[in-house]
Amino acid sequence: MKRDYFITQEKIDRYGEINGDNDIIHYDVDYARERGFKAPLAHGLMVQGYASAMAAEKYGADWFTRGEIHVKFVGPLYPDETITVEIDDDGKLHVAAGDRTCIVGTAKLRDAA
Amino acid sequence: MTRPTEVKPREDEQPGTKWEEFEVGAELPQFSFTISPDIVAEYSRAIDADPQGMVLDGKRVAVPSILSVYLMAVLYRKYPPAQGGIMASNKFRYYGPISADSDTTVVASGKVLEKYEKRGRRYVRYMARFTNDNGDPIAEAENISTFPN
Repeated sequence: MKRDYFITQEKIDRYGEINGDNDIIHYDVDYARERGFKAPLAHGLMVQGYASAMAAEKYGADWFTRGEIHVKFVGPLYPDETITVEIDDDGKLHVAAGDRTCIVGTAKLRDAA
Repeated sequence: MTRPTEVKPREDEQPGTKWEEFEVGAELPQFSFTISPDIVAEYSRAIDADPQGMVLDGKRVAVPSILSVYLMAVLYRKYPPAQGGIMASNKFRYYGPISADSDTTVVASGKVLEKYEKRGRRYVRYMARFTNDNGDPIAEAENISTFPN
């Protein structure tokens, strides 16, 4: 399954509100640029949340008791970009912004055949 | 209901932990929090999901990744965060659902597993476990983050 999400600074702020963080790398353009990024970073865990919800749809009830998601954040996630979250039939997880890979990993059931 | 800000030290509230100060093997002390339907709804909106949660066996349950917003509290309560932390990888194993219709008390604890340097960055790996108040497992997590200081 594959789904597109458009990341905005408003969405980053909303996630930060429930996440309860005050890490300015998600909000401060100048600080993010000092650290070598072109813009504030979206929370990787927000995008992991997108993937977890998709996995719940894919695997159904088993996801809540046997689900396992493993992600590596390999590239930045920026506001004003559309990202594509994909979980293939083998449970391989891939998140990209255009042709830039941002997250790789798996979303699988434990003890799956 | 426990908002993550109530249990998670925030950046700039206290001097941020230096990488040298993380102790491999350190136990991350137990604490508890309550996930209410309001928290489920707010978290769900933040990940573009249905605020009422998902349906499992006829009952409303939270997207299990809701525990993500409490994950760093496990580390930060012992080691307050510095500005500029970046997550490198994250693993969650789910064992039981969290209600979207009623309050769920969650007990969290953890342990620092490893710290290392790679390509000029300094990393800390730790694990967190989440149970209900009967001790039944809800989830386990393992996180690797890099901190600038």
